[in-house]
Amino acid sequence: MIDIKKVGMKFDLGIEKNFSFKQLFVDTLTPGKKKKKKEYFWALEDITFHINKGEVIGLIGSNGAGKSTLLKVVSGVMKPTKGKVETHGVIAPMIELGAGFDSELTARENIYLNGAILGYQKDFLDQKFDEIVEFSELRDFLDVPVRNFSSGMVAKLAFSIATVVEPEILIVDEILSVGDIKFQEKSRNKMMEMIKGGTTVLYVSHSLDSIKELCNRVVWLDHGHIRMMGDTKKVCNAYYQEQMGVPMKQKGNI
Amino acid sequence: MQAFKNIMANFKHYSFLMRQLISRDFKVKYKRSVLGILWSLLYPVLMMAVMAIVFSKMFRFQVEGVNYLVYLMTGLVMFNYFSEASNSAMTSVVSNFSLMTKVYIPKYIFPVAKCLFVGINFVLSLIPLLVIILFTGNPAEGTRCVINGWYLLLPYVFICMFLFTIGLGLFLSCISVFFRDMFYIYGIILMIWNYLTPVFYDVSILSDKIRFLMKFNPLYVFITSAREIILYNRCPSTELLLGCLFFALGMLLIGAVVFKKNQDKFIYYA
Repeated sequence: MIDIKKVGMKFDLGIEKNFSFKQLFVDTLTPGKKKKKKEYFWALEDITFHINKGEVIGLIGSNGAGKSTLLKVVSGVMKPTKGKVETHGVIAPMIELGAGFDSELTARENIYLNGAILGYQKDFLDQKFDEIVEFSELRDFLDVPVRNFSSGMVAKLAFSIATVVEPEILIVDEILSVGDIKFQEKSRNKMMEMIKGGTTVLYVSHSLDSIKELCNRVVWLDHGHIRMMGDTKKVCNAYYQEQMGVPMKQKGNI
Repeated sequence: MQAFKNIMANFKHYSFLMRQLISRDFKVKYKRSVLGILWSLLYPVLMMAVMAIVFSKMFRFQVEGVNYLVYLMTGLVMFNYFSEASNSAMTSVVSNFSLMTKVYIPKYIFPVAKCLFVGINFVLSLIPLLVIILFTGNPAEGTRCVINGWYLLLPYVFICMFLFTIGLGLFLSCISVFFRDMFYIYGIILMIWNYLTPVFYDVSILSDKIRFLMKFNPLYVFITSAREIILYNRCPSTELLLGCLFFALGMLLIGAVVFKKNQDKFIYYA
């Protein structure tokens, strides 16, 4: 379960400009102009909701609405400026795959390195090693440095490592389908299986169809606030209507 | 006590990641070289050879009554560890930003892993140092060093130096996130620090005032403690031994507190 209480996330837009001699120089030359007020931007403000065990929650909203920030706050990458997030259970953040891959290392070495970064322990990796290799279809390239891999092969490897866990909380930023046609199908199925497998899921997507298919409830974020929350169909329809100006057509009418 | 237990549990949980990061550093460092891991041994040997020639043959440095080669190498090996470890720990947080924005990893891991990685190289460079201790110097002049019981205190001195370096690494890596100029400034500081530490000269050539101030140089305290044992076969004074502990724990505390207070802000500067 995930408990999000009054979470606010503040970004300082002027952060790049602080503390440089150039700025000091400009400021002394233009004494009339006082330093501009610091500009803040609340990427999230007063977000409160609760996700029960086994629920699949969809997050929708236009670009810059705060969806990814919320995922990062929940996964612990960012600490909220205000409020707090409580999570119980192992979190698998599938936000960006292949974190910490080192191109000089072989696929075998990267499986252990990336696995460790994702928080797996050694015996778990030893045990699941074959499964990862099998799924990635890269057995023949195990001892080849990743720098010689094609981007598709890297993606396949990264996907296989990330999805080998059975997490209690799954955080997904779009369904990933990577690699060639065959692998795309396979990876899609694997993700669907993970989402439907009874874990608690926080799922971000721009595809309303997949949201409707998978989610129990939907949260619509708008400029860092919760605009609407509740029944999947209702929220999706309202969101579509506001974005496109026309009601959402039924599936199959396109 | 509970806090200490938590820290240890956290350490244990992330020890596998720490080992992976260290072994990555090793693999990447030597991956494409012909001699590979052998360089970890060969490099300090060659470096010592060059320094030995420069300082004892060209400049003819000497320290009264002791084996100068051992004197020089003890200081050199220790100072090199300190400068390399603190420098790479400083850059470790910034250079791993891409990781920190993707997955949650406790951030102290990066500077600590760097200090340990350089620490392994330090331990390896003790092998050539031991060879120099055993085989150089003239027994007739009494400049041949002997292994003595006080060697049991060496690990204590080295651990104090490690802890000091980790503390400073945490401090610098944190500061440099907000103030990147630190990368360049610290390079200069290290150079000054190197000359202010009696690595290749003896403190007796300094004026009384500077010699007094030397006591506040942690590196002087660590290196002198080790030299007391290796060169003079005696136990370092209580003042020195307590000084080691004082600097180690003090710096570690400062580094850890500053790092902990600021680590949540790192992500904004990525």
